[in-house]
Amino acid sequence: MDAPHYVAARVQRALAEDERTVELGIRVDVRGSQIFLRGRVSAPERRLLIEDVAREAAPGLSVHNEITLVEVREPGEEEHL
Amino acid sequence: MTQTRIAAVADIHMGEDLRGHFRPKLHGIEHRADVLLVGGDLTRHGTVAEGRVVADELRDLPIPVIAVLGNHDYHSDAEQAITSIMRDAGVTVLDDEATVMSLNGATLGVVGGKGFGGGFAGKCASEFGEPETKAFVRHTRQIADRWRQALHGLDTDHRIVLSHYSPVKDTLMGEPTEIYPFLGSYLLAEAADEEGADLIVHGHAHLGTEKGLTPGGIQVRNVAVPVIGSAYTVYCMNGA
Repeated sequence: MDAPHYVAARVQRALAEDERTVELGIRVDVRGSQIFLRGRVSAPERRLLIEDVAREAAPGLSVHNEITLVEVREPGEEEHL
Repeated sequence: MTQTRIAAVADIHMGEDLRGHFRPKLHGIEHRADVLLVGGDLTRHGTVAEGRVVADELRDLPIPVIAVLGNHDYHSDAEQAITSIMRDAGVTVLDDEATVMSLNGATLGVVGGKGFGGGFAGKCASEFGEPETKAFVRHTRQIADRWRQALHGLDTDHRIVLSHYSPVKDTLMGEPTEIYPFLGSYLLAEAADEEGADLIVHGHAHLGTEKGLTPGGIQVRNVAVPVIGSAYTVYCMNGA
Protein backbone atom coordinates (compact mmCIF):
# COMPACT_ATOMS: atom_id res chain seq x y z
CA MET A 1 0.00 0.00 0.00
CA ASP A 2 1.28 3.47 -0.91
CA ALA A 3 2.24 5.83 1.87
CA PRO A 4 -0.57 8.34 2.59
CA HIS A 5 1.76 11.13 1.51
CA TYR A 6 1.96 9.75 -2.05
CA VAL A 7 -1.76 8.98 -2.23
CA ALA A 8 -2.58 12.58 -1.29
CA ALA A 9 -0.11 13.89 -3.85
CA ARG A 10 -1.58 11.63 -6.56
CA VAL A 11 -5.13 12.82 -5.84
CA GLN A 12 -4.06 16.46 -5.74
CA ARG A 13 -2.29 16.07 -9.06
CA ALA A 14 -5.32 14.34 -10.61
CA LEU A 15 -7.59 17.19 -9.48
CA ALA A 16 -5.25 19.74 -11.07
CA GLU A 17 -4.63 17.88 -14.34
CA ASP A 18 -7.88 16.04 -15.03
CA GLU A 19 -9.81 17.99 -17.68
CA ARG A 20 -13.04 17.47 -15.74
CA THR A 21 -11.77 19.37 -12.71
CA VAL A 22 -8.61 21.48 -13.36
CA GLU A 23 -8.88 22.38 -9.71
CA LEU A 24 -5.79 23.73 -7.93
CA GLY A 25 -7.31 24.86 -4.66
CA ILE A 26 -8.51 21.66 -3.00
CA ARG A 27 -6.70 20.38 0.07
CA VAL A 28 -6.33 16.61 0.19
CA ASP A 29 -5.59 14.79 3.45
CA VAL A 30 -5.24 11.01 3.75
CA ARG A 31 -5.74 9.35 7.13
CA GLY A 32 -5.61 5.56 7.08
CA SER A 33 -8.14 4.38 4.51
CA GLN A 34 -9.94 7.72 4.36
CA ILE A 35 -9.45 10.74 2.09
CA PHE A 36 -10.66 14.18 3.15
CA LEU A 37 -11.31 16.82 0.49
CA ARG A 38 -11.52 20.43 1.68
CA GLY A 39 -11.87 23.71 -0.16
CA ARG A 40 -14.45 25.91 -1.86
CA VAL A 41 -15.93 25.74 -5.36
CA SER A 42 -18.49 27.75 -7.29
CA ALA A 43 -21.07 25.11 -8.27
CA PRO A 44 -22.55 21.96 -6.66
CA GLU A 45 -21.76 19.90 -9.79
CA ARG A 46 -18.06 20.67 -9.35
CA ARG A 47 -18.15 19.36 -5.81
CA LEU A 48 -19.35 16.02 -7.13
CA LEU A 49 -16.93 15.96 -10.09
CA ILE A 50 -14.01 16.55 -7.74
CA GLU A 51 -15.18 13.66 -5.58
CA ASP A 52 -15.42 11.40 -8.67
CA VAL A 53 -11.90 12.25 -9.82
CA ALA A 54 -10.50 11.76 -6.31
CA ARG A 55 -12.20 8.37 -6.03
CA GLU A 56 -10.73 7.25 -9.35
CA ALA A 57 -7.25 8.39 -8.36
CA ALA A 58 -7.38 6.49 -5.05
CA PRO A 59 -9.59 3.43 -5.56
CA GLY A 60 -10.57 1.52 -2.45
CA LEU A 61 -10.32 4.48 -0.10
CA SER A 62 -13.40 6.13 1.33
CA VAL A 63 -13.77 9.77 0.27
CA HIS A 64 -15.10 12.42 2.64
CA ASN A 65 -16.24 15.38 0.59
CA GLU A 66 -16.03 18.42 2.87
CA ILE A 67 -15.88 20.91 -0.01
CA THR A 68 -18.19 23.88 0.42
CA LEU A 69 -19.74 26.27 -2.08
CA VAL A 70 -18.49 29.84 -2.53
CA GLU A 71 -21.29 32.20 -1.69
CA VAL A 72 -21.24 35.22 -4.00
CA ARG A 73 -23.04 38.04 -2.19
CA GLU A 74 -24.04 41.50 -3.33
CA PRO A 75 -21.08 43.92 -3.18
CA GLY A 76 -20.71 45.46 0.26
CA GLU A 77 -19.49 48.89 1.37
CA GLU A 78 -16.91 50.50 -0.86
CA GLU A 79 -13.46 51.19 0.55
CA HIS A 80 -11.95 54.67 0.40
CA LEU A 81 -8.25 54.37 -0.27
CA MET B 1 -14.27 66.56 -4.68
CA THR B 2 -14.86 64.02 -7.43
CA GLN B 3 -14.10 60.39 -6.83
CA THR B 4 -12.99 57.63 -9.12
CA ARG B 5 -14.72 54.40 -8.17
CA ILE B 6 -12.95 51.20 -9.16
CA ALA B 7 -14.89 47.92 -9.14
CA ALA B 8 -12.64 44.87 -9.17
CA VAL B 9 -12.94 41.09 -9.21
CA ALA B 10 -10.76 38.13 -10.25
CA ASP B 11 -11.00 34.36 -10.63
CA ILE B 12 -14.54 34.25 -11.93
CA HIS B 13 -13.65 30.88 -13.58
CA MET B 14 -16.58 30.77 -15.98
CA GLY B 15 -17.70 27.62 -17.74
CA GLU B 16 -20.79 26.68 -19.72
CA ASP B 17 -22.47 25.53 -16.47
CA LEU B 18 -22.15 29.06 -15.06
CA ARG B 19 -23.48 30.85 -18.17
CA GLY B 20 -25.92 33.56 -17.11
CA HIS B 21 -24.98 33.30 -13.42
CA PHE B 22 -22.48 36.17 -13.22
CA ARG B 23 -24.11 38.87 -15.31
CA PRO B 24 -27.15 39.40 -13.03
CA LYS B 25 -24.76 40.16 -10.16
CA LEU B 26 -23.38 43.09 -12.19
CA HIS B 27 -26.82 44.69 -12.44
CA GLY B 28 -26.65 48.33 -11.32
CA ILE B 29 -22.85 48.38 -11.25
CA GLU B 30 -22.89 51.75 -13.05
CA HIS B 31 -24.40 53.30 -9.91
CA ARG B 32 -21.61 51.94 -7.75
CA ALA B 33 -18.51 52.20 -9.95
CA ASP B 34 -16.97 53.99 -12.93
CA VAL B 35 -14.90 51.10 -14.28
CA LEU B 36 -14.66 47.32 -13.73
CA LEU B 37 -11.28 45.59 -13.49
CA VAL B 38 -11.12 41.81 -13.93
CA GLY B 39 -7.90 40.23 -12.69
CA GLY B 40 -7.57 37.02 -14.66
CA ASP B 41 -8.70 33.40 -14.47
CA LEU B 42 -11.77 34.30 -16.44
CA THR B 43 -12.16 30.63 -17.43
CA ARG B 44 -11.52 27.19 -15.94
CA HIS B 45 -9.74 25.38 -18.77
CA GLY B 46 -8.84 28.30 -21.03
CA THR B 47 -10.94 27.05 -23.93
CA VAL B 48 -12.42 29.17 -26.68
CA ALA B 49 -15.92 28.02 -25.65
CA GLU B 50 -15.35 29.24 -22.09
CA GLY B 51 -13.94 32.49 -23.48
CA ARG B 52 -17.23 33.03 -25.28
CA VAL B 53 -19.16 32.53 -22.02
CA VAL B 54 -17.01 35.17 -20.29
CA ALA B 55 -17.41 37.58 -23.20
CA ASP B 56 -21.19 37.20 -23.09
CA GLU B 57 -21.26 37.80 -19.33
CA LEU B 58 -19.25 41.04 -19.68
CA ARG B 59 -20.60 42.30 -23.02
CA ASP B 60 -22.14 45.81 -23.22
CA LEU B 61 -21.82 46.70 -19.55
CA PRO B 62 -22.67 50.37 -18.97
CA ILE B 63 -19.14 51.03 -17.63
CA PRO B 64 -15.76 50.22 -19.23
CA VAL B 65 -14.30 46.77 -18.47
CA ILE B 66 -10.54 46.18 -18.33
CA ALA B 67 -9.23 42.62 -17.94
CA VAL B 68 -6.06 40.55 -17.89
CA LEU B 69 -5.78 36.80 -18.34
CA GLY B 70 -4.71 34.32 -15.66
CA ASN B 71 -2.93 30.96 -15.67
CA HIS B 72 -6.17 29.03 -16.24
CA ASP B 73 -6.80 31.09 -19.38
CA TYR B 74 -3.52 29.77 -20.82
CA HIS B 75 -4.23 26.09 -20.15
CA SER B 76 -5.57 25.20 -23.62
CA ASP B 77 -3.07 27.36 -25.56
CA ALA B 78 -5.99 29.51 -26.71
CA GLU B 79 -5.04 32.73 -24.91
CA GLN B 80 -4.83 34.72 -28.15
CA ALA B 81 -8.27 33.57 -29.26
CA ILE B 82 -9.76 34.31 -25.82
CA THR B 83 -8.20 37.78 -25.92
CA SER B 84 -9.75 38.42 -29.35
CA ILE B 85 -13.18 37.19 -28.25
CA MET B 86 -13.06 39.45 -25.19
CA ARG B 87 -11.95 42.46 -27.24
CA ASP B 88 -14.75 41.84 -29.73
CA ALA B 89 -17.15 42.01 -26.77
CA GLY B 90 -15.82 45.48 -25.90
CA VAL B 91 -13.49 44.44 -23.07
CA THR B 92 -10.04 46.06 -22.97
CA VAL B 93 -7.61 43.16 -22.45
CA LEU B 94 -4.16 44.22 -21.28
CA ASP B 95 -1.10 42.13 -22.06
CA ASP B 96 1.75 43.95 -20.30
CA GLU B 97 0.63 47.33 -21.59
CA ALA B 98 -1.27 50.43 -20.47
CA THR B 99 -4.64 51.95 -21.20
CA VAL B 100 -5.80 55.45 -20.30
CA MET B 101 -9.32 56.74 -19.81
CA SER B 102 -11.08 59.80 -18.46
CA LEU B 103 -13.59 59.20 -15.66
CA ASN B 104 -15.47 61.98 -13.85
CA GLY B 105 -12.97 64.55 -15.01
CA ALA B 106 -9.94 62.61 -13.75
CA THR B 107 -7.62 60.53 -15.89
CA LEU B 108 -6.98 56.90 -14.98
CA GLY B 109 -4.09 54.84 -16.29
CA VAL B 110 -4.15 51.07 -15.88
CA VAL B 111 -1.10 48.91 -16.53
CA GLY B 112 -1.93 45.24 -16.67
CA GLY B 113 -0.86 41.72 -17.46
CA LYS B 114 -1.09 38.29 -15.92
CA GLY B 115 2.21 38.60 -14.00
CA PHE B 116 3.96 35.39 -12.92
CA GLY B 117 5.63 33.65 -9.98
CA GLY B 118 9.10 33.19 -8.54
CA GLY B 119 8.60 34.05 -4.90
CA PHE B 120 9.37 36.88 -2.57
CA ALA B 121 12.57 38.61 -1.56
CA GLY B 122 14.89 36.32 0.40
CA LYS B 123 12.87 33.21 -0.47
CA CYS B 124 12.71 33.19 -4.24
CA ALA B 125 14.15 31.61 -7.33
CA SER B 126 16.83 33.38 -9.33
CA GLU B 127 18.13 33.19 -12.87
CA PHE B 128 20.70 30.53 -12.07
CA GLY B 129 21.30 26.90 -13.00
CA GLU B 130 19.21 24.89 -15.41
CA PRO B 131 17.67 26.61 -18.44
CA GLU B 132 14.18 25.75 -17.15
CA THR B 133 14.79 27.59 -13.88
CA LYS B 134 16.30 30.55 -15.66
CA ALA B 135 13.39 30.70 -18.11
CA PHE B 136 10.87 30.67 -15.24
CA VAL B 137 12.46 33.62 -13.46
CA ARG B 138 13.28 35.46 -16.68
CA HIS B 139 9.62 35.38 -17.67
CA THR B 140 8.67 37.26 -14.49
CA ARG B 141 11.56 39.70 -14.80
CA GLN B 142 10.63 40.55 -18.37
CA ILE B 143 7.00 41.10 -17.37
CA ALA B 144 8.11 43.40 -14.54
CA ASP B 145 10.32 45.32 -16.99
CA ARG B 146 7.39 45.84 -19.35
CA TRP B 147 5.20 47.05 -16.47
CA ARG B 148 7.94 49.43 -15.37
CA GLN B 149 8.12 50.91 -18.88
CA ALA B 150 4.33 51.14 -19.21
CA LEU B 151 4.01 52.88 -15.82
CA HIS B 152 6.86 55.24 -16.69
CA GLY B 153 4.96 56.38 -19.76
CA LEU B 154 1.75 57.16 -17.87
CA ASP B 155 0.92 60.75 -16.99
CA THR B 156 -2.50 60.35 -15.38
CA ASP B 157 -4.18 61.47 -12.17
CA HIS B 158 -4.46 57.87 -10.94
CA ARG B 159 -2.38 54.82 -11.78
CA ILE B 160 -3.44 51.25 -11.14
CA VAL B 161 -1.69 47.96 -11.83
CA LEU B 162 -3.97 45.04 -12.72
CA SER B 163 -2.39 41.60 -12.35
CA HIS B 164 -3.38 37.99 -11.86
CA TYR B 165 -0.37 36.92 -9.78
CA SER B 166 0.36 38.64 -6.49
CA PRO B 167 3.10 41.25 -6.04
CA VAL B 168 3.29 40.76 -2.25
CA LYS B 169 3.03 38.10 0.45
CA ASP B 170 0.52 40.07 2.55
CA THR B 171 -2.42 39.10 0.37
CA LEU B 172 -1.39 35.42 0.31
CA MET B 173 -1.95 34.95 4.04
CA GLY B 174 -4.04 31.79 4.33
CA GLU B 175 -2.29 29.99 1.48
CA PRO B 176 0.36 27.36 2.32
CA THR B 177 3.71 29.16 2.45
CA GLU B 178 5.30 26.33 0.43
CA ILE B 179 3.44 27.45 -2.69
CA TYR B 180 4.10 31.20 -2.42
CA PRO B 181 6.66 31.05 -5.29
CA PHE B 182 3.84 29.86 -7.56
CA LEU B 183 1.47 32.59 -6.42
CA GLY B 184 3.50 35.68 -7.18
CA SER B 185 6.77 37.57 -7.25
CA TYR B 186 8.28 40.57 -5.51
CA LEU B 187 9.60 41.68 -8.92
CA LEU B 188 6.07 42.84 -9.79
CA ALA B 189 5.87 45.02 -6.66
CA GLU B 190 9.37 46.35 -7.21
CA ALA B 191 8.44 47.65 -10.67
CA ALA B 192 5.37 49.42 -9.30
CA ASP B 193 7.26 50.84 -6.31
CA GLU B 194 9.94 52.27 -8.61
CA GLU B 195 7.50 54.03 -10.91
CA GLY B 196 4.66 54.70 -8.46
CA ALA B 197 1.01 53.60 -8.48
CA ASP B 198 -2.06 54.17 -6.32
CA LEU B 199 -3.30 50.59 -6.23
CA ILE B 200 -2.37 47.09 -7.35
CA VAL B 201 -5.24 44.64 -7.88
CA HIS B 202 -4.70 40.89 -8.29
CA GLY B 203 -6.33 37.49 -7.86
CA HIS B 204 -4.99 33.89 -8.11
CA ALA B 205 -4.74 33.22 -4.35
CA HIS B 206 -8.19 31.84 -3.47
CA LEU B 207 -7.24 31.20 0.15
CA GLY B 208 -5.49 34.52 0.59
CA THR B 209 -6.40 37.82 2.21
CA GLU B 210 -7.87 40.95 0.63
CA LYS B 211 -5.59 43.71 1.87
CA GLY B 212 -1.87 44.26 1.66
CA LEU B 213 0.84 46.79 0.99
CA THR B 214 4.02 46.82 -1.10
CA PRO B 215 7.33 47.60 0.60
CA GLY B 216 7.05 51.06 -1.00
CA GLY B 217 3.56 51.65 0.44
CA ILE B 218 1.27 50.96 -2.53
CA GLN B 219 -2.09 49.47 -1.54
CA VAL B 220 -2.59 45.91 -2.80
CA ARG B 221 -5.96 44.16 -3.00
CA ASN B 222 -6.59 40.46 -3.68
CA VAL B 223 -10.03 40.40 -5.31
CA ALA B 224 -10.35 36.67 -6.06
CA VAL B 225 -14.06 35.78 -5.72
CA PRO B 226 -13.50 33.34 -2.81
CA VAL B 227 -11.60 36.08 -0.95
CA ILE B 228 -14.04 38.99 -1.41
CA GLY B 229 -17.14 36.75 -1.36
CA SER B 230 -18.98 38.97 -3.83
CA ALA B 231 -19.25 39.63 -7.56
CA TYR B 232 -16.92 42.62 -7.18
CA THR B 233 -15.71 45.08 -4.60
CA VAL B 234 -15.36 48.86 -4.99
CA TYR B 235 -12.35 51.05 -4.16
CA CYS B 236 -12.72 54.84 -4.22
CA MET B 237 -9.91 57.23 -5.01
CA ASN B 238 -10.20 60.95 -4.45
CA GLY B 239 -10.07 63.29 -7.45
CA ALA B 240 -6.95 64.88 -8.85
